[in-house]
Amino acid sequence: MSNDLLTIGQAAKYLNVSQDTLRRWDASGRLTSIRSSGGHRYYQRSVLERFKKELFRLATIWASSGMPPEIPSTDHSETQDSFKARLQRMAADINMNPDLALQAALVPAITGEIGNNSFDHNIGNWPDETGVFFAYDLNKREVILADRGVGIRSTLSRVKEDIETDVQALNIAMTKIISGRSDEHRGNGLKYVREVAIDYPIGVTLQSGSAVAIIQKDDPKELKIMPADQYIRGVLARIDY
Amino acid sequence: MKIELRKFGLVLTSRPDGREAFAGIRPTLDLSAPHVEIDFAGVLSLSPSWADEFFGELQKIYGDRLTYLPSDNPSVKATLRILKEQHNGS
Repeated sequence: MSNDLLTIGQAAKYLNVSQDTLRRWDASGRLTSIRSSGGHRYYQRSVLERFKKELFRLATIWASSGMPPEIPSTDHSETQDSFKARLQRMAADINMNPDLALQAALVPAITGEIGNNSFDHNIGNWPDETGVFFAYDLNKREVILADRGVGIRSTLSRVKEDIETDVQALNIAMTKIISGRSDEHRGNGLKYVREVAIDYPIGVTLQSGSAVAIIQKDDPKELKIMPADQYIRGVLARIDY
Repeated sequence: MKIELRKFGLVLTSRPDGREAFAGIRPTLDLSAPHVEIDFAGVLSLSPSWADEFFGELQKIYGDRLTYLPSDNPSVKATLRILKEQHNGS
């Protein structure tokens, strides 16, 4: 076979999933293989590269499925410590580009707020899968985060009782200063995310439940909150820089 | 007295890390220092969760004796602005 075709074993290693997962994905049509005359599966390298890069699609599936599909371990930070290590790596990677000094300061900060919120608000309370999906693409200049936690509305309802919709909850999380337990501040990280995205050329899309908040990377720099296309219990976010 | 934040890391974003940083520096603090300056030089990325935990505890000890040295880092500037809004809004 040519260098452009990988065996199922090589493909599994490349995507960091099991061969059984690749067989399932093949059967479901999610990632189809090429069969040799003997029936062996092969994968085009370019197809695998493209598949690996479609992070947002993968995160959406992971966040929205009833049963979370297997994802590459490199994209899954199961603990806050592993998230921190990967966040530091991302900051260093962005900082390698001298043209991105502004982004190297701001993108890790807002990524940290979104990702750490997932841990802080779901600790001891994860409905199924723990931790966050966290992946980034330096070429596409995007960061993708997702969790399968209880979601922003449920979290906010612990400290604020009169929230009736996900749109309302997201609006409060993105715009209002909230105090939690006495002597402690909570829920202000997303306000920081909003201010950074409004003030700088950074785009943020953040969904929780049936609501999505969008701030475009380019003008007009304004926060829009609207119903989402599909329901996600936890949080799904994309940062473009 | 000057506290150099770069000694705690380049990327300072989480509440647990902010609490841990304060716990680490607590025994070395001069409680009677007339002025305490926060130096952000060398920090790459700072966010409000870390800052809230760390500065919040320092504020309880030093109050008006705590000052923030100027920084050009946009994440530092945005963080200090949020903390100020939070302080005024609570």
